Amino acid sequence: MFTRHVDDSLPRYCDGELSTADRQRVDAHVAACERCRLALEEIQFSASVVRQLKVISAPPSVWNGIVENAIVEAGLPWPERSRRQTRRARGRSYPLRWAVACGLVLAAAAGVYLSIRATMPRPWEVAGVNDGGTRRMAAGEWVDTGGGSAARIIVGQLGTVDVAPQTRVRLGQVSPTEYRLKLDRGTISAEINAPPRLFIVDTPASAVVDLGCAYTVTVAENGAGELRMTKGWSSLEWKGRESLVPAGAMCRTRPGSGPGTPYFEDASAALKRAVDDFDESKNRSEALDVILGEARVRDTLTLWHLLSRVDVSDRARVYERIAQFEAPPVGVTRDRILALDADALRRWREELAWKW
Amino acid sequence: MDGAGGEISPEILDACRRGDREAFRALYEAYKDRVYSIAFYFFQADADAAGEVTQQVFLKLMREIARFRGEAAFSTWLYRLVVNACVDRARGRRADVVGEDPVTLDTIAASPALSHEEMFARHEVATSVQRAIATLPPKLRAAILLRYFEDLSYSDMADALNCSIGTVASRLSRGHRLLAKKLAPVRMAFRSEE
Repeated sequence: MFTRHVDDSLPRYCDGELSTADRQRVDAHVAACERCRLALEEIQFSASVVRQLKVISAPPSVWNGIVENAIVEAGLPWPERSRRQTRRARGRSYPLRWAVACGLVLAAAAGVYLSIRATMPRPWEVAGVNDGGTRRMAAGEWVDTGGGSAARIIVGQLGTVDVAPQTRVRLGQVSPTEYRLKLDRGTISAEINAPPRLFIVDTPASAVVDLGCAYTVTVAENGAGELRMTKGWSSLEWKGRESLVPAGAMCRTRPGSGPGTPYFEDASAALKRAVDDFDESKNRSEALDVILGEARVRDTLTLWHLLSRVDVSDRARVYERIAQFEAPPVGVTRDRILALDADALRRWREELAWKW
Repeated sequence: MDGAGGEISPEILDACRRGDREAFRALYEAYKDRVYSIAFYFFQADADAAGEVTQQVFLKLMREIARFRGEAAFSTWLYRLVVNACVDRARGRRADVVGEDPVTLDTIAASPALSHEEMFARHEVATSVQRAIATLPPKLRAAILLRYFEDLSYSDMADALNCSIGTVASRLSRGHRLLAKKLAPVRMAFRSEE
């Protein structure tokens, strides 16, 4: 009697992953079948040569690169590095993706966290860009560039905020755990290297919570605003509604409804228009059709946010579209996503974020 | 790591979560060579690619370690980062450049007192094995390296590769089939020596 060939079972047979019964079946078959015996020898051989590969020591340049990239990306001091090494680092460029750049910023931010925490917060300092003078200002004071001037706010050791002309910003309280500004109108550009959630800008329609990044926020006279990210991440938060915005993306905010749905600035014009229409409740169903049709893999940023914002009847369509680009990770089921299970949504977002 | 000396201590992981830079350094020292080696062989002894992937993995690890809750072994989570980084980078490259000589390293473990001929033969085998691995599709490459270089169990591989144990077995089976073709000349040479 000759049983079916056992090729598919051979790796598990070699690796001791078969049950006793299956192992005996393979034993018996291999003893009688030259083809499978040869296949077994091939597997044993290839496994043995891969097993003999040596562990290679990571060169010191790898760790240096981590530190150096943190310095280059975040402009942060790193005490273990010499000036000479730092200068050399600035001449080097690794083609890392934005996600890694975000990691660099946050890693560097984590690195300075203890030193920041250990020191008393510095008071606000404001420099007039036009007159060059710098003066300390107290919480509650306003920086108003309505006369056409510009200013720079120094945010302790965390970074700077450039205040464009025709802008009104109030300085908030400073504490070891929070630096807070209130943007009434106009435009500010922030470059912050700090642990997440240490620097916050309140606007009429949302709070911009820094997660280690650089960005520009504009608030119009009517209180509507927009956030454009150039580096890292920010979170827009308002009454329990949250939008996560990575570098290269933007998000509008509207009085009374808070943060809108973020999208990448290089998305198609049709998608961007449709997102605005959706957020403003203009023909939401048609807008969703356009968004789903126009979305690229990167636009899963927008689609992921829509999961919790579309009508229940449309949620499955959004799910299916995202899944066409990236299936949910193991354990994250369709039902959990459609039920807006927070852990499942987070885990899927973490997978998708590799594409953002 | 599991296959090479156990897990990092919970105390170091806790310190990393709190942003302790020295703890990150200890974590890096504990795992850097395994991470680097996987990337090194994944990209056919491309030291630049291995270095960049290793950086990417540890930076992501530092960014996200606060989210690691310990439901699975830390090393499994780390392997997952490594595989994702390697596969993601491989997607962005054309088919790996096969035919170029990899870095001239004797990457097959050598015993002492080898003759020049034996050293040369080992170097040739190492080169052939690196090339053969590099020709595998990225997911099969990852499976072969995790199983036979890192010595992960099928269960840990399933976690690291985010797939079922059946898929792990299937990838290994397909990987072996392709490797066997590529390594046939090496195997014949070994046989003729016996």
